[in-house]
Amino acid sequence: MTDSIFVKPGMTPKEIVAGVRRLPAVALTSTGMRDAGQSDYKNRLRMHDLSTIAPSYNEMGLFSSECHGGARWHVGIMNRRESPFEEIQQLREKMPNVLLQTLVRETNLWGYRPYPKNIIEHVVAEVDIDVWRCFSFLNDVRNMRTVAEVVMKRGRLFQPAISFTQADWTTNDYYLKLVRQIVDLCGGTDEIILGIKDMAGVGSPKRIHSLIDAIRQAWPDLVLHYHRHATDGLALPALLSAAQAGAGIIDVEEDSLTRFYGQAPLMSVASYLEESGVQVHLNRKAGEAAVQKVREWIRHYEWAESPFKGFDHGVVMHRMPGGAFPSSFEQAEKGGFLHLMPAILKVMSLYNRIVRYFDVTPGSQITWVTCSGIVNHYAKERGMAGVSHVIDLLTRFVHEKEQDFEAMPPEEQEELLQLFRAAPGDFKNLIMGGYGKLPMGWPADWVYASSFGEEGREKVGRRSEDSPLDSIPEEDIARLRSELAVQLDRNPTEEEFILFLMHPKDALDFIRFREKYGDAPLVLPPDVWRSGLKKAGDKVEFEYRGVPYSIERVSIGAEHDGVIHAVMKVNNQIRVFKIETPRARKTEIRMAKGLADIGAPINGTVWRIGNPERGKLRAGDIVHKGEEIANLEAMKMENAIFAPYDAQITEIPVTLNQMVKQGQLLFVLEEVMHDAAAESAEMLALPTFKS
Amino acid sequence: MMDKTIKKVLVANRGVPAVRIIQTCQDRKIPTTAVYSTPDRLAAHVFMASDAVHIGEAPPVESYLNMERIIAAARKSGANAVHPGWGFLSENAAFARLVEDSGLIWIGPGPEVIHKMGDKIESKMIARQADVPTIPGINSPKTAGEIRQWMAAEDVAFPIIIKASSGGGGKGMVKVSGEGELESAFGQARSEARKSFGNDEVLVEKYIEKGRHIEVQIIADQHGNVIHLCERECTLQRRNQKVIEEAPSPSIDNAVRSSICETAVRLMRSIGYTSAGTVEFLFDSLTGKFYFLEVNTRLQVEHGITELVTGVDIVSSMLDIAQGKPLHFRQEDIRPNRWAVEVRLNAEDPATFSPSFGNISRLHLNLYPGVRVSQGVYEGSEIPPYYDSLIMLLMTAGPDRETAIRKMDSILCRNLRVEGVKTLAPLLLSIIRHGDFLKGDFSTCFIEEHMDELVSMFTEDDSEEEALKIARYVAEISALGTPNWI
Repeated sequence: MTDSIFVKPGMTPKEIVAGVRRLPAVALTSTGMRDAGQSDYKNRLRMHDLSTIAPSYNEMGLFSSECHGGARWHVGIMNRRESPFEEIQQLREKMPNVLLQTLVRETNLWGYRPYPKNIIEHVVAEVDIDVWRCFSFLNDVRNMRTVAEVVMKRGRLFQPAISFTQADWTTNDYYLKLVRQIVDLCGGTDEIILGIKDMAGVGSPKRIHSLIDAIRQAWPDLVLHYHRHATDGLALPALLSAAQAGAGIIDVEEDSLTRFYGQAPLMSVASYLEESGVQVHLNRKAGEAAVQKVREWIRHYEWAESPFKGFDHGVVMHRMPGGAFPSSFEQAEKGGFLHLMPAILKVMSLYNRIVRYFDVTPGSQITWVTCSGIVNHYAKERGMAGVSHVIDLLTRFVHEKEQDFEAMPPEEQEELLQLFRAAPGDFKNLIMGGYGKLPMGWPADWVYASSFGEEGREKVGRRSEDSPLDSIPEEDIARLRSELAVQLDRNPTEEEFILFLMHPKDALDFIRFREKYGDAPLVLPPDVWRSGLKKAGDKVEFEYRGVPYSIERVSIGAEHDGVIHAVMKVNNQIRVFKIETPRARKTEIRMAKGLADIGAPINGTVWRIGNPERGKLRAGDIVHKGEEIANLEAMKMENAIFAPYDAQITEIPVTLNQMVKQGQLLFVLEEVMHDAAAESAEMLALPTFKS
Repeated sequence: MMDKTIKKVLVANRGVPAVRIIQTCQDRKIPTTAVYSTPDRLAAHVFMASDAVHIGEAPPVESYLNMERIIAAARKSGANAVHPGWGFLSENAAFARLVEDSGLIWIGPGPEVIHKMGDKIESKMIARQADVPTIPGINSPKTAGEIRQWMAAEDVAFPIIIKASSGGGGKGMVKVSGEGELESAFGQARSEARKSFGNDEVLVEKYIEKGRHIEVQIIADQHGNVIHLCERECTLQRRNQKVIEEAPSPSIDNAVRSSICETAVRLMRSIGYTSAGTVEFLFDSLTGKFYFLEVNTRLQVEHGITELVTGVDIVSSMLDIAQGKPLHFRQEDIRPNRWAVEVRLNAEDPATFSPSFGNISRLHLNLYPGVRVSQGVYEGSEIPPYYDSLIMLLMTAGPDRETAIRKMDSILCRNLRVEGVKTLAPLLLSIIRHGDFLKGDFSTCFIEEHMDELVSMFTEDDSEEEALKIARYVAEISALGTPNWI
């Protein structure tokens, strides 16, 4: 076992690659600060605690620490109220020896929509990360160009990753073709490391051995980095296979963090590989120290674990990625449909044969929302019998009829033609080519008829195979920045602006939260962060900016008219905080009923009323058929709401950033005849003068 | 002959000035009566006095400007003297006369002097007669055309300044930079003058650019002794209201100093001034000339720094003078040996100067060697929206200017904490840290000219503030339970 610090921040990509090649052992990346938390703790592990293992990382001889990216960014600002920039800054201080690694989507970056090229360039250039693992859920290598260019120009290590799944169509030949494209894109094998992203944990030991062996034979110099989740229970043998086949780096996490859907346990992997004759590069003492450190705080995160526990070999069929496990089950629990999860996973395993792509963000969210939507729809309409029915229908269609639409009886054809009607906008965008070319071609034509109804045929003709990098028009960065400045009523910092570019609504919430509560997310221990101080006399003590602080609960009064007074001692001085409770704000929810009512298609947040071209819409405005009039955000996805006809808005009963329920009234419209619309629009355009 | 012994003083004021006067009365074991309007029922000055009388509702005209009520309050409480403080009725000759006619002792200059010097036009004339240099100007123009004629005749160029004839304290003052603004500025000044002083008469003067505001503290008894307590520099103003003052002035040398002080004494002697008062001058640092501006026939806000450098208790002297006693010191006894700086801590937004009302939820000030504090509020006080925004005067003194400023810096940045309302503290700190201020290189336009820079110097990093944000979070989560977003 070797254990030196063999790569460090500041090295050129060439030096890093050479360092891995020279190593007579398999190197490790710990995902303890990102994917481990995402896969088993909903990304709730906070810097306050994670940073305690940084000193151990600094001596472990890791290839890198995956501490950034994926959904950690978004959950950070939304739920932990930590900025990814703060995290980088802290880690740079506490583990200067360690390469910091991110996980980034090729065109969506850390957000959930494809960005135009100029935004990708702007954002990637501002994030201080050493290793950029970049993947495409379509394995559309063209889409990686911009990130690759900026990262390589900055002298940081680009790690293009191929999305792996085990299916009849994901053959070695398929992957070798992709690797060829990647090597061409990156100008050879000396300045990149190839990631193999087994995000669901489905690669059987033999399959992985075969794939890595094939790539090694074609490109003996190419350093391979195998990322694998543990969901199917076969992570250890698969990692051994990968190492034996020539993977130079493998992903692991601290044993004490390990549950079911993240990576394999660090110390176990090291021991197993060594016993099997594969050298591992690890400072064992530092590794053990990290594992022990985690035990000091991990029990405070039990609440964040997935309600679904245990390995799930069924993942080889439904392919839900490890990183999506806890959040999906959380959503099911909150939405009251946890009992439908087995059915949803079953539908996913059938769905992924009808529309073929890789179940990883944003694909996994599209799969999740589409499939959970179908099952919920049937459950609502026809109860559990309906759920069994749709599973039977799809099973027959996929397995018996091998997806021969014409072979299905007419009434079942009819039913299939309704299957995707309520699918989310992102699903429809996906099958139109909005994210790029699908890896195995477009789905069958009936899917379009099912999604778009009568327009299905026309939609088929309008599919685009272009990369979104080429098709999405550039955005005016200065204008976006001033938009944020208007919202904040001050100039944003560069970091705030980048947060805003990724998640406009949540970034604003985050910035406002931090303006109000300062560094509370950074200094408070997990229990106080989550539940506060339980009883009089309880206190929390911490060091902040070099001096000690103590906050003690003295008493909390009863609620009067939506206000509670809380008496706290802050460094022994009595402070009274006036706290408004949500009670004061409760109002009755109006639902959409008539034809003129536009309701929310999903539970979500109204983060935009109007559209970027026109700006905010108000009652009295004229809208045109097909014009976007609002946008809801839910489950990480944006859902545009379009005007169904030319109309005048008579009422907007919701406000910006309001949470709405499915079916809640968003707009009341009054249809206008064509001439009248033109006339009103003209009248609106004319300035009016008051005498 | 009226008994001239003060037995009890009614302080016809509120806030900082009322507290200041009561302090000296307490030192002298003279009982006091405070007066208060309805929203001031629990104000600081009310509880410092021996007793207090309610004199009316919130609007000043119904309370602190309500002469009859104040006289009645004196009768009721048995006070036989009235100190008006500064502001409100302090320069109101009619009130001074009413006090005297009511058989009470007026602690201040006589009504005739107040009247004469209260009229800007008349006072300027008096100054000229006393051979005191005055700024070229025109009195009571009725139209903008008259102003143009005067400018042509006396070869005066823009900028000029229009002031309310009977005004003070910056109200009804409008600077005119060019012909284009003249008409509207003239209208505005007249309208402000009418609203603030009930009289729309204005005067117009040449505007001295880069002018410095220097004033001389005078104290005079009823026996013909008129002496000066040296000068103060009050150049730092915003919207013509002083913000930072210091004594002595860093802008003049000893020759100018003695000239300006002797000129002030000459003027005050010529009008038979008694009690404490101030002669204000505008000093043109380009030419080294000074011009008479006005006489403030009252105690001034910034008198404290003169007390710090001279050791004289001006309020106490006013009490003596009002009782007909001769001054117990002579001009040659006045030997300032300190440098003192004062900042006015107003409850205002430091960037916009918009007043900040409400409850002072925390007021914490660490006492510190060389500091004098004059505060008109206490922790928990309400700042009502009807009155002056001054809540506290902070003064520091040291052997030299640098020391006094350094002490002020320490107070403002580490030892003062006001929560619940915004104060000028960040701006004051920016100013006293500004290189030009430290060099003594500034004019009355300093704040205006450097505002953006000063605002950018605001120190946002306040650890205590940040700790309170954390505490607020803990309080909210403790009270409301785990939030659903977590």
